[in-house]
Amino acid sequence: MSQPPPRRWRLSRRGFLIGAGVVGGGLALGVTLGLPALRLALADAFEGAVPPTIVTTDPFLWFDIAPDGRVRLAVPKTEMGQGIHTALAQIAAEELELAWEQIEVVQSSSLGPVADNFGTNASNSVSSLFAPLRETAATLRELLRVEAAERLGVAPAALSAAAGSFFVTAEPQRRLSYGELATGATAREVPPEPPPLKPGAAWTLIGASLPRVDLPAKIRGAAIYGYDARVEGMLFGAVARPPSLGATLRRVAPGDVAARPGVVAVVIERDFAGVVAESRAAAAAAVRALDVEWIEKPPLQQEQIEAPVRAAPGRGVAVQRAGDAAAVLRGARVITAEYRTPMAAHAHLEPQAALVDVRPDRVRAWVSTQYAAGTAQAIARALGRNPRSVEVIPTYLGGGFGRRMISEVAIEAARLSAAAGRPVHVGWSRAEEFQNGFVRPPTHHVLRAALGPDGRIAAIEHSQASGDVIFPFVPAPIGAFFGADFGAWRGARITYAVPNITVTSERVPLPVPTGAWRGLGLLANIFAIESFIDELAHAAGIDPLAFRIAHAGDDERGRRLRAVLAEVAERSGWGGPVPAGRARGLACAMDAGTVVAHVAEVSRKPEGGICVHRVWAVVDPGLPINPDGVAAQTEGNICMGLSSVLFERLSVRNGRFAADNFGAYPLLSMRDAPAIEVTVLRSGDVPYGVGEPPMGPIGAAVANAVFALTGERMRELPLMGGNSNSPPP
Amino acid sequence: MNLTINGRTYQVADDPPRVLLWVLRDELGLTGAKFGCGAGYCGACTVHLDGVAVRSCQTPLRQAAGRAVTTIEGLARGEALHPVQRAFLEVQAPQCGWCMSGQMMTAAALIAANPNPSDEEITAALERNLCRCGAYARIRRAVARAAVLACGSGEAA
Repeated sequence: MSQPPPRRWRLSRRGFLIGAGVVGGGLALGVTLGLPALRLALADAFEGAVPPTIVTTDPFLWFDIAPDGRVRLAVPKTEMGQGIHTALAQIAAEELELAWEQIEVVQSSSLGPVADNFGTNASNSVSSLFAPLRETAATLRELLRVEAAERLGVAPAALSAAAGSFFVTAEPQRRLSYGELATGATAREVPPEPPPLKPGAAWTLIGASLPRVDLPAKIRGAAIYGYDARVEGMLFGAVARPPSLGATLRRVAPGDVAARPGVVAVVIERDFAGVVAESRAAAAAAVRALDVEWIEKPPLQQEQIEAPVRAAPGRGVAVQRAGDAAAVLRGARVITAEYRTPMAAHAHLEPQAALVDVRPDRVRAWVSTQYAAGTAQAIARALGRNPRSVEVIPTYLGGGFGRRMISEVAIEAARLSAAAGRPVHVGWSRAEEFQNGFVRPPTHHVLRAALGPDGRIAAIEHSQASGDVIFPFVPAPIGAFFGADFGAWRGARITYAVPNITVTSERVPLPVPTGAWRGLGLLANIFAIESFIDELAHAAGIDPLAFRIAHAGDDERGRRLRAVLAEVAERSGWGGPVPAGRARGLACAMDAGTVVAHVAEVSRKPEGGICVHRVWAVVDPGLPINPDGVAAQTEGNICMGLSSVLFERLSVRNGRFAADNFGAYPLLSMRDAPAIEVTVLRSGDVPYGVGEPPMGPIGAAVANAVFALTGERMRELPLMGGNSNSPPP
Repeated sequence: MNLTINGRTYQVADDPPRVLLWVLRDELGLTGAKFGCGAGYCGACTVHLDGVAVRSCQTPLRQAAGRAVTTIEGLARGEALHPVQRAFLEVQAPQCGWCMSGQMMTAAALIAANPNPSDEEITAALERNLCRCGAYARIRRAVARAAVLACGSGEAA
């Protein structure tokens, strides 16, 4: 039997595709415009844009064809329940002309085959990979076609592809499967010109509600998450935690901890103390037995967290400007309102976990992380290794929600493994999860507007202030360049057609670590804006639906917004009869290119508080790759959003977050979950993200319904207030 | 001491005292039961003891001795999925999936005890199983569907 020729692993001439050149173009503009104008220009350019991504388009990195014809797709994005592995498989299988059963998904690691420089976040996985993945799959298909043409002795154009085979169109029995063609095809040069793409009218997999590829393993309990990662000879690690926020290590006396039964190593470094043991419990007990002295800061209190977050017109960085809102408001009858949102925890149900095996020449880490490349770099830095010698293999994630963009646990396990010379697993407890890391920052919003004699908004001003969201993750010069945290002002711009608009965002450094939480500033900003739009509609004496439709723009996004609003009105029977004791509220958002609107139906609970009975949601993600997946993400965003807007407020007391577990930080349960009816619209041939946008409007939809029911305007989250994280009795 | 888990007998030390969850996960390699809170709030660690749903993070190991422990790995009969698993798949209920072993074990115990649960009975049984992804609407639908599937196939246990 002859040896197959070696695979030609190399990058083609069009090896890397760089998406949306927003930043580069903006930088060029800045030379002539000056900094404030440049910031505005960038904010304009970001609107609805797909974040930049750099990804290989070499088909031999993305795909591997087995002799039996099954095709493996190496996905760069991690699966945390959003269904991304399935959506990407649909896109690839469509362009490759595979039957759905013929494609199989494998997770890329930080070293490839398809490296991801961006992480899995910002609702951008489908939107940023749609074009490069289609093009890459089509390239592979055309390579297979050329190989098939040569082998069958016909012109390439005489061939058709279906279900993983090329056949002579006029003689369908003359065919070769991809498995038979693979070796020859992969020895060919990738042509420089982009291949023809399959037209949308011929799609059968894109747009189909195919079942999730990860669920068969998940329903058997066989899927492996970071907390489940196991290798032969592994040990367990635990790490000493600061007793209060901001405390640093002064001194550690190991005492006789190393001699305790089950303890393998006590690891004491300048800023780190941990123990490696035969069992998780032995490691935790040994860490508790260490004599650790901490340098503590004066204990933080809640007043120090929220009080400095105070927005005011004229402060911060302008991120949207049209006309002259200040001038119009000066002489007018101004309607004004303030809104506030609290700190929140991510509360993903799988606490951070990692298994790391540090060897002299290489490091392997299995981590439930959203950002394999960043985690690999962090491990390399901590151990003084070359990042190319560190492989981070993402497992399934038990929720992410932004928290797993940073995976400290992997660095901890790496340091412990390096010291112990064995693989070490570290899994955080729920209290470690609540007390360490970062939280969603509090925000404050001042909205001012004036109505014209026609009842339309003549001018509107949104001044928002927030703790940091993205700045903790980007180099300081980028923060200085932008001035305002572009994560914090996500959703802060006014997307209605109003002639005079000013939106400013003020960065408030806080003494607690804050950062990305699902949707970034979206939930807070849309809560404020869409509540205020409701207030304006009532002030104008116009139905909130009609008011919004009247203010939708004449451009494509405005048309999409009108269509979504009309659909949600139709589905919910807006303006029609409502069950006694209940009322409805409407809110909408345009985010990450996706347009969404919710109608919430609420009542007062007899014992006090709000009951959300039903939510009608309409979402237009441009092109829904998997409509049922879009619906699932919409339902999930509504429930997680409701949990946050109804119940969640994380506070600080005596230098610690005032919750160690779900007793003091209750989450929405099935009892409080509404019935949800989702309608997915298709408005085009380009897909936008759905991992976060549907969360945006839920707070305002509920608050607006409460106003319709009671006349009480709720301007502070959580709407059911009062949860000060009191310790459980 | 002997533990009977999913019909198989395991020999485990009964000292030091520990809870069932970590013995399953860290000593026996059965990672299907998940750790979420360690305090009984979230239900991700739910398993059956003699068919009754319990929180394995709150269950002392000794309490499991001499009783039939069933975890998510033992819910299917070989290749044949339990009606609850079939329903959760059919409805595409899981998102991240971390809470789902607990949701399904709770649902399976409910249906075994009450083959035709009302909406309120489903909520009452499942409301202490948290799902951060917010898949509640589908979980509710999947449990109701599972009851129908179990009824049809007579495999509620």
